[in-house]
Amino acid sequence: MTLNICYYGLLAERRGLTEERLETLAATTAELYAALDAAHRLGLITRDFRVAVNDEFVAWDHPLRDNDSVAFLPPMSGG
Amino acid sequence: MSASIQFSLSSQPIDCQMPDEPAAGAVVSFEGRVRNHNAGQPVGHLEYQAYPALANETGHRILAEEAAQHGLLAARAVHRTGALAIGEVAVWVGVAAAHRGPAFDAARAIMERLKYELPVWKKETYADGRAEWVGPDNKSAETGRAPSAEVPEWQAELVEIWISPGNDFRGRHELGRLEHGIEGVAEVECVAGMGLRGDRYFGYKPDFKGQVTFLDASVVEAVRERFALPDLSGSVFRRNLVIRGIDLATWVGKQFRFQGVEFEGSEECKPCYWMDQAAAPGAEDFLKEHARGGLRARVLSDGILKASISRVP
Repeated sequence: MTLNICYYGLLAERRGLTEERLETLAATTAELYAALDAAHRLGLITRDFRVAVNDEFVAWDHPLRDNDSVAFLPPMSGG
Repeated sequence: MSASIQFSLSSQPIDCQMPDEPAAGAVVSFEGRVRNHNAGQPVGHLEYQAYPALANETGHRILAEEAAQHGLLAARAVHRTGALAIGEVAVWVGVAAAHRGPAFDAARAIMERLKYELPVWKKETYADGRAEWVGPDNKSAETGRAPSAEVPEWQAELVEIWISPGNDFRGRHELGRLEHGIEGVAEVECVAGMGLRGDRYFGYKPDFKGQVTFLDASVVEAVRERFALPDLSGSVFRRNLVIRGIDLATWVGKQFRFQGVEFEGSEECKPCYWMDQAAAPGAEDFLKEHARGGLRARVLSDGILKASISRVP
């Protein structure tokens, strides 16, 4: 399956880009992050930040489908 | 009556005012501006990156929830994106209410939530040219929390643990209480961001302030004495963790560790009128007078809490 992935803030900086399309076998948001963390040493752990799929916050066991847009959202810092 | 709600992101300088509202006796507005220093370092400029779709939805939800919570007539907020110079307005919040109390409270509450919940990220560029992403309120950009070495450990006794599968009182004004029961347990699993496994507020909603509630054992004892109810159970207050040895009122807005699990105090757990029914007539006022409703908190790390006295069901 192919996913669209967006990175924000610190995670975009560590990944070196803000968006990519990716072939993956990851079944859930947590599995996807684990694979990306292993490949790119992103360094955050899932309990500390949030993930969205198709513009909605989801849990780390959220199942992924072909063409989903996944966004990794490190701790937010508005204001 | 539903409040007028408006949230937006803006890449241009913010120039906002609250609209005329004849019923509004109080209008409070707040500007968060870019400061020329942070954590002891001179700041050159700031940059905000946003996730627009989710930021708009989240901003609107925060305003709507706080408007409902505080009974506002109107709530507006704007957050800047892109590069900002020193002195520019980064975030603007405006609320209108009938009276000043709820207006001040709501503006503060909205601002606090925008800092932690809005999908916006701040990058600081310092005078020496270095730049870095920062976390909320200068906490870690990796964890969103203060470094754990700085989190003090409570020297306290955990007297009782109470969990209940459902809400007896919440949202049941004039409907009467439900009877979900409440169970004393010897230990309970804490899950970061969720609460206590098995309890009614476990995973109740994202970033919920009352994932867990603490109550001072001395409050239970004071109510027993005041109302001559020596056998009154600590469970009637429907707080989760009855502790001894800590002044709970001093932990609002602060992080702490208890039995190795990290928490963050969010607000006083205000007693409500149900206390009169659950404990004794007059209990609500008694608790209020002594600021003794307990502490609501978020769970920041996973772990197990154990009570000092095991109770056999």
